[in-house]
Amino acid sequence: MCLDDQILNTYLDGELTEPWKTQVEEHLNYCVACKTRFGQLSTLHAVVSGSRLEEQEIAPHKEKVLQFIEKNYMEKKNKIGFLHKDFRIKTPMLLSAAAAFVFVLVGALLIGPSTQAEPNALIPRVVPATGGAVVQVRATEGLAASQVLENYPLEEILKYLDSRGYEVDLRVKGIQPMGGEPIEPVEPALEPVEPTVTE
Amino acid sequence: MEIKSSENESFRLVYEEVFPVVMRVAYHVTYNMDVSEDICQEAFIRFYEKNIDFRSVDEAKYWLIRVTKNLAINVMKRKSREQAMVDKIKKAPKVPVRNGEDALIDSETRTLVREAVEKLPEKLKSVLVLKEYADLNYKQISGILHISESNVKVRVHRARKIMESMLDREEMHVS
Repeated sequence: MCLDDQILNTYLDGELTEPWKTQVEEHLNYCVACKTRFGQLSTLHAVVSGSRLEEQEIAPHKEKVLQFIEKNYMEKKNKIGFLHKDFRIKTPMLLSAAAAFVFVLVGALLIGPSTQAEPNALIPRVVPATGGAVVQVRATEGLAASQVLENYPLEEILKYLDSRGYEVDLRVKGIQPMGGEPIEPVEPALEPVEPTVTE
Repeated sequence: MEIKSSENESFRLVYEEVFPVVMRVAYHVTYNMDVSEDICQEAFIRFYEKNIDFRSVDEAKYWLIRVTKNLAINVMKRKSREQAMVDKIKKAPKVPVRNGEDALIDSETRTLVREAVEKLPEKLKSVLVLKEYADLNYKQISGILHISESNVKVRVHRARKIMESMLDREEMHVS
């Protein structure tokens, strides 16, 4: 009795157990028809299995997916671990946090006076002996600043600054003076620090 | 070696070994490289996030193959429902063909095989893909698909019978 395709396929896949395996091998030794059929099934298997996606076709995708997972899952997991031992924040993060804090602080100081409408809150208090602190206020930029400054006459602002110990450097940019005389900078020039107010 | 899927070291070990297998499984079910990449990515993300303990790399591999196979089958089901998807997937770039002496199977035969595999009913396709492209034995396939070994044996045989009838043997060239 000859072998059917299912037995031959099982044998081909190396899944046939004894004693059937030996019996099939013996049969294939003398039965030309079964041997031919086995040859055909082997070819079919070789062709189908051989038409596979190759390693070199897989490699770029393997790299890409790993990078995605590393970036979006592995690294995030490490950062979130506040309670884990290796707590760390990268320097750029600290810098941007500091920048955001300063931004909020300055913003609060500039907006503050418009609600209070008191001259002594107009410009941030100067901390003595810090040296070199420069405060620039431009009427053309920063809506909050220009709105605040518009509420006061220039003279009052200067008087206020003088009383607070500011050295004021007043400049007018982008406007040609109407007369021949250049505008003299107002210089109350008091110590100890020299912030600059530009209008 | 025990595997914890959320530990980076374990993950990399499994990834290195298993990615080519699952990529092959996804590809030979969908025959689309981009879709296959998405499927594999999804499978490994699930693997990483689920934080599962496996007794061995092989156990993790079987889990990943099962998930990948299911994702790929789902994609194909959706594809058959949505006509738009059909067109998109049909336009998939052809797999680059190896040249010169390396080529065991020529490109025409590869195309024929692809067309035949695509036509297989889902149950037979799953078994055939795991057998021919994931290089698994009957016992492993039976574990992944939750069917008996004798069922695997029968399906392999039926799948090959259909494949043979669809592939013109005259056109199968093996160098």
